[in-house]
This record gives sequence, structure tokens and C-alpha cells, in this order.
Amino acid sequence: MYLVEKVRTGFLGVAHFHADSYAQSLKTIPQAELVGVFDRDKGLAHEFSQKFSVPTYDDMEKLLKICDAVVITSENALHHEYAVKAAEEGKHILCEKPMTTTLRDADELVGLVEKKRIVFQMCYVMRYHTVTSLARDLVVGGRIGRLLVMVGTNKLNRSLPLLRAWFTDKSLSGGGAVMDHTVHLSDLMRWISSAEVVEVYTEIGRNANPKLQVEDSFLTTVVMGDGSIGHIDGSWTYSSGHYTWGDVTLELLGSEGVLQVDAFRQNVYFISSEKPDDRLVWHYYGCNPDLLLVKDFIQCILGGGKPRANVYDGRQGVAVTLASYQSSMEGRPVRPG
Amino acid sequence: MIGVAVLGYGFMGTTHLAAWKMMEGCSVLGLWGRNRAKLEEAASRYGVEPITELDNILKNDKIEVVDICTPTYTHVELAVRALEAGKHVLVEKPMALNLGEADRMIRAARKNGRKLMVAHVLRFFPEYMRVKELVDGGHLGEITSLRAWRGGPAPEWSPWFMDLEKSGGVAVDLAIHDVDYAIWVNGGLPSRVYAKIVNLVHKEYRVHDFALITLRFPTGSIAVIEANWALPKTYPFTMKLEIDGSKGVVQLDNQTPIPLKMWTGDKVEGFAPETLPWKPGVHPFPLDPFYREIRHFVECIIQDRKPITDGEEARKSLATCLAAVESSEKGAPVTVGG
Repeated sequence: MYLVEKVRTGFLGVAHFHADSYAQSLKTIPQAELVGVFDRDKGLAHEFSQKFSVPTYDDMEKLLKICDAVVITSENALHHEYAVKAAEEGKHILCEKPMTTTLRDADELVGLVEKKRIVFQMCYVMRYHTVTSLARDLVVGGRIGRLLVMVGTNKLNRSLPLLRAWFTDKSLSGGGAVMDHTVHLSDLMRWISSAEVVEVYTEIGRNANPKLQVEDSFLTTVVMGDGSIGHIDGSWTYSSGHYTWGDVTLELLGSEGVLQVDAFRQNVYFISSEKPDDRLVWHYYGCNPDLLLVKDFIQCILGGGKPRANVYDGRQGVAVTLASYQSSMEGRPVRPG
Repeated sequence: MIGVAVLGYGFMGTTHLAAWKMMEGCSVLGLWGRNRAKLEEAASRYGVEPITELDNILKNDKIEVVDICTPTYTHVELAVRALEAGKHVLVEKPMALNLGEADRMIRAARKNGRKLMVAHVLRFFPEYMRVKELVDGGHLGEITSLRAWRGGPAPEWSPWFMDLEKSGGVAVDLAIHDVDYAIWVNGGLPSRVYAKIVNLVHKEYRVHDFALITLRFPTGSIAVIEANWALPKTYPFTMKLEIDGSKGVVQLDNQTPIPLKMWTGDKVEGFAPETLPWKPGVHPFPLDPFYREIRHFVECIIQDRKPITDGEEARKSLATCLAAVESSEKGAPVTVGG
């Protein structure tokens, strides 16, 4: 008989939709065990507990005591508080993006994680998507020569942020589309180019949904430390009738070629005919990056590996996002802090 | 019968020539160009008279229309001379390389009471027209953002394109299509422009081959326009458009909706009757955007109407593209207009 080591994992906050996908993924990993859920909204915690057969905890401290690791999928503004508590207790952390909503919080977390020597992994899922990973391998392998330009979209179906009220409540989300959808692309650009973002210019446009209290439409131009140019469109402006949730596309221009990525393009088309206005719907069959992300987290804890995206990558995402808001406010390019 | 002379026998000259030949009520009375051998070859191919002396066109009273398809840096002199000679002028885009030249052309048209139209053919592409109809019909609600993409291999076949002084580079020559379109659907000039316009891969030329232009309109609507000559030679000429609005989203590209494909040996060719790739003589002309564009100009002359992209209108996209270049040089946003 031998001991099977399991990582006892709890959820701190499940307000973000991604909590469900991470929980499903964890359930399929033999070395992981889902031990509990905490959410300040007891209704949400209960729902999650029913769905994944895990006990709820009204007291975060109690949950932390029985965990080796936590997944933080709370509202953005609570990430910092939850992560600090978990880190202080020496728990490993898988943290939804954006890591924090202020740079001070991000820096504090970087210091704390280094001190506590825990695994801290950012949920930068696009580092785990096979298509974007392949694109990076091709670029790093020199297949398109020297990388010169990266133009990306990470647009979202506008109906999705309405499903949970906190997404559009600045005190809980830290902001709208800029806060939500800058980091996947800015992180991919950092990851692929191995350079930092050194300049950000953002135009925040009028809203597609004027009822929102936060912005839903923006365009960001960036310059990387190696002189390459990037562009980010992470607007929440796809129609509510869009064929899917949104997209991640990336055009990579090099001195010797061009590479175009449409990461979630692998879909079968389904057209219902129940109602006259039924429309084309896409059913995705491509890579599930969430599963690979969660697996890597568990493996890093057990095997002592380093996550693909760590606390510093989280911090850099926050820096670009905040520079973006500053640029928009001041009407000039800004260097991220 | 409207007498027409075409200036320039390059890609656009012969494209226009083919469309003029199909135009009812019009007769091509001459083709002009500087290189005699090339001129005579093109003229015989299209069955028109080669003319080497420009004065023979300007002084010919039977010629009412001069269609200028020469390289951009020659536009202003040719256009002003033709307008002064009392001709209506259709001139390829970009109308000129700077606003001083554009204004000279506009003034000459006004002074001589002649039509001046700049050939912004995108406004005549059926898919772009359809999108404009959807916008005008209120189907998108208020426009919030526009993404346009346009690119293909650099036009190295004509060396003047690869000279910033002669073509204006990819921003002024290529991005101007989508800049004009963005101005059209947004109802006027942008208030602010921010751009990165660079020489990415064609280091042997002094030219911009990549432009990434962000526009902000007075309404708060925003736009990003990418124009790209930094692509491999195998890359098909591609254009894409996406407009988001408060009520909906519209998307198009010219690569997916190809209704006819032909494989022969090691080659595959796509044909779309109304769109690219366009081959003179292959497609039914009435659906062709170049035919529609020229038809519009002819109707403006016959009915004494204002062309959709007259000098004043075309000046807006030129001003915006020049502001984009300025923004890129300064590394700061630039205000347009005034």
C-alpha cells in the first residue's frame, strides 16, 4: 500500500463564472480533492456546493485550516484580501484575473508570495490553450523571423457581464471591459515576446450598452520593451446574439512571415428550427485550457514546478490595465507602473 | 455621348478603362501616359487611342471627362490642369499627398464649375454598401466601434509605391480606404487620432509598410484601422470589417464568401463576381465596384449632382491619414480638423 497524495483544495469566492469550470476540472484530477467553498454570498456558495457536492463554510478561516490550496474566483476587488489571508496561512493559490485592482495590492502580494514560498498561479488560461501555446512555440522557434507586431482581440458577448451584477459594479470589479479583458492579451504579448509592455495608449469609447455604469468599449495600443507594437481590443460589445461567448484572436507579424490565431474557432455549427428567429449557434469542440491550467496548478504543488503565470505576471497585468485607464483619462500614452 | 480620357495605364488605369468601355453613353477617346511603349501596349489591348501629348486631351472639346489613374505624386498638377481646361475630373485615391495640394484641386474645381470626384471605391463595394445601409437603417443602433483590416503583399511591382515621398506610404495609400469608410459611417471627421505607422520589413525602401490607426469621433465612437504591406508574397489581398453598435454587430471579410473556386494544376483561384480578386474581362461588370463608382460619377455629371466623394469629402480622409502619420512621428495623439 502506498499513500496517494491529494491536494485539498477550497474555493474562496465563486462569484466569477470560471469557478464552475475550474471545479469541474479539479473533479477530474485524481491528485486533487475539493474540500469546501466559501462565498460572502451564501446563496452562491450553496448553489456551488450543490453542484459539486462540497460543504460550504461561512467562515473563511475555518476553510483555510483544512486546505492545502485555494482557488480565488471571487469578485475582482476581493482577490487581494482573500489571497493575503491564504498566503499568510501558507496556502497555495490559484487566482482569477485580474490579480488585484490596485498596483499597491499587487506589489504587496508579490512580496508576500515570495516570502511564504507558496505556489501562486494566475488564471491566465491563454498560456494553456494549445493554439496560443503553439503560436508562441512557432514564434520562439523563429518561424516568422523577428516578432514585430501583435494585434489581438478578446471581445465578449455583451449579455455575459450582465449575468452577475458585480461585473458592472466598479466597487467590486475595479472597472469594466478594460479591467476584465486587457490582461489576457497583454499577458499573451508578454509571454510570446518575452518583453514587458513599456507604453500604453487607450481610447475608451461610448458604451454599446449605455445603461452600464462601467465602460464596455475600448482600444489599446501598446509598445513592448523590444520595440514591437501591440494592439488590444477587449470590448464587451459583441452582440447578445453572437454565435459564441466571444473570441481570442491574435495576429503576429514577423520579419519573415505572419501568423494568425483564432483560438476558439473550432466549432460545429448548429441551427435550430424551433422558432422562426432561431439563429446559428456555435458548439465549441477545441482545447479546454481551463483543465490544463488546473492540472498544472496541482502538479506544481506536488512536484515543485513553477506555474506558467506567477504572481509577478499577475502584477504586470494589473500595471498595464491601470496604465490603460490613466492613458484614457489623460489622453496620452502612459508607461505602466 | 460623354468623351473620356484616361490618364495612366497601370493597374488602376486599365481597371478603370475596362469599366469605362462598358459604360453606356460614354466613349473613351484616348489613353495617356509617359512611357510610349507601355502606353501603346495598353491602348491596343483595350482598343483605345494612345495619346502622348496631354494638350491633345486638354484642348479636345469632345473630351469632357479626365480620369486620373497616375501615381499619387502627379495627381495635383494633372487634376488642376484638367479642371482649368474645363474637364470634369475623376482622380484615384489618395487625391494628393498633402492638404495644400488637395486644396488647390478643390479650388480649381470650384473656380471652373467642374465636378471633382476622388475614387474611394470602397464605398461602391457591395458588402460595404450593405453595411452602410444597415447602419443608416438603424439596425446597429449607435455605432460604438469599428475595426478594419486591409492588407496584402507590398506593391513592389510599381516602385513609386515604395517611396514615401511619392505614395505617402501604407497609411496614406492603403489605410485611407478604411479611414474614408469610417468617416462615412460615423458622419464626419474624427476628433482625435493616435497611430503607429512604421517600416516593419521593407528596410530597403524608405516607406511605411504597416499602419495601426486609432480614431476617436466626436460622438465617442472609436475605430481601429490596420493597413498592412508587411505580409508574405503568398498572402491573398484581404479586407475585413467589424462594426459594433448599441443594437448589434456587423462583420464582413472578403476571403470566406467566395462563391466560386477553381482548381487547375497546382493553382487555386477564387472568384467573387462583386468583389476581389477582380480580373478585367472575367466578371460581369454591372456588379463590379469600379463600374458602380464610375457610373456614379457619370450620373453626377449628367444630373449635375455632388459626387459622394468630392474634393471636400475626400480631403477629410487625407487629413486624417496625415494626422495619423504626424501622431506616429510625435508618439502622441493628434487633433484633426480645423
